[in-house]
Amino acid sequence: MRLRSLVDAWNRFFFAPQSPVPIGLFRAIYGTLVIATLVLLRPDWLAWYGPHAWVSLSTMHQLEPGMRLNLLAVLPQTNAWVEAFFWVFLASAILLTAGLFTRLNSVIVFICLASMQQRNLYITHGGDTFLRVAGFFLMFAPAGAALSVDRLIRIWRGKGDSQLQPRRPWAQRMIQFELAVMYFASFCWKIQGLPWVQGTALYYVYHLSEFQRFPVPQWLLRPTILKLGTWFALVLEFSLGVLIWVKEFRYVLLSLGLLFHLSLEYSINVPLFQWDVLSAYVLFIDAADLERAWNWIRSRLSRVALPVTAQRL
Amino acid sequence: MAPETPEAEPAFNRSNQTRWLQGAKRTAINVFLIFYLVVISAWCIPSTSALILRFRERIRPYMVWSGMFQSWDMFSPKPESANSYFEAIVIYKDGSSQLWPFPRMELLSLTRRYFKERYRKFEQNLQDRDDAALWPDAARYIARLNANPSNPAQRVMLVIRWSDIIPPAAGTSDHGPWNVDVFYNYVVQPEDLQ
Repeated sequence: MRLRSLVDAWNRFFFAPQSPVPIGLFRAIYGTLVIATLVLLRPDWLAWYGPHAWVSLSTMHQLEPGMRLNLLAVLPQTNAWVEAFFWVFLASAILLTAGLFTRLNSVIVFICLASMQQRNLYITHGGDTFLRVAGFFLMFAPAGAALSVDRLIRIWRGKGDSQLQPRRPWAQRMIQFELAVMYFASFCWKIQGLPWVQGTALYYVYHLSEFQRFPVPQWLLRPTILKLGTWFALVLEFSLGVLIWVKEFRYVLLSLGLLFHLSLEYSINVPLFQWDVLSAYVLFIDAADLERAWNWIRSRLSRVALPVTAQRL
Repeated sequence: MAPETPEAEPAFNRSNQTRWLQGAKRTAINVFLIFYLVVISAWCIPSTSALILRFRERIRPYMVWSGMFQSWDMFSPKPESANSYFEAIVIYKDGSSQLWPFPRMELLSLTRRYFKERYRKFEQNLQDRDDAALWPDAARYIARLNANPSNPAQRVMLVIRWSDIIPPAAGTSDHGPWNVDVFYNYVVQPEDLQ
């Protein structure tokens, strides 16, 4: 009986059809972040991935042995090929963001992202890793079923319903699982370190000058406040890893997580990391709530737009 | 009971076949889900259990190949406790020298910091003696950056400067004195400059 209910819960969690809007929105944000990553890498593209890069392919193989999914290792080692890889990758990320040939482009983006990181693992941060592992599961998701050009084309051709069809969310659940595991594993790593347990970890983080971005008010850098902040980070990471699955806590935790990442975005310079992680928050929002939020934004926009239009008329 | 029609049998077979296919697909997805839930958990969550360590070794080739390897140990188990930066001293054929600084985030504009942050990560890895194989590549790259055909670079020395962060309870000053270490010396070969 208990096994039966466990199986039912499993089936409900992974297979009960739900709106594809959250995964469609995630795809658009995800694609935008991949584009942003590429744009930021562009000035030093050949310095990191070219045939005469900071780290040569042979050194990479020596330090990180084993077979790897890495197109950059099999392409001819010339600047032209490495540049071509960049443009194909960028074009595919743009198409994925728009949701055109979504499945194909999700595969291309994942392979290119994995290749790029495997080619030089010494410059990747946690945000890149999250994009890579989330991108793997995105390939299996109905990512083009909503908010996509693919869907518009299907409707124009009379093959699609104007009403969104619910889809099985198992791939979306795996991306959610990745986010939760990320927080929980971070928590587990941190509690192994004395500075986190003693509450001094953030003191050190905020004294690392290479990470500093915008100035933080002095009162926030007092040891007592930093101690509380350190412990708050631990509690929050544990909660976002474990309690996020409890519906009653979800929105409170997502709000706290959003504030936490925005404060890190303000104070710490790890470009795109916070946005890479926050992108997956949309997968935890009910489609009905997303729709309500969208309607609210639309009504606000129309209220702003109407007086302007009236003035012009 | 409805009389059997010639079409009834194939229709029955077809629906059976569809049901079988859907069942097989569902089973495959379940196997996929269980596999990834197990391997990702075993890979990411720190553990010293011999069983988990053995399991990780078993799945390592697949995780590495597929790009599903991941680690979530940002600022942990303990954050860096020193500020540091790198420089390179390039010595040329005529005996002259030049100091080449790696990009330092704290000295860059906000926009440049966004674009150059990868250097911070790279320098962090460059400090790790386990990754000493990166040093010759880095030295060669710096030699190429500072190439002068009439006066080629002959030697590149990698230098690290660091200053410990004073623990919060210790006193008023945040940082200790700056230390310096020339940790790698590379003799440039003519082919390095090609």
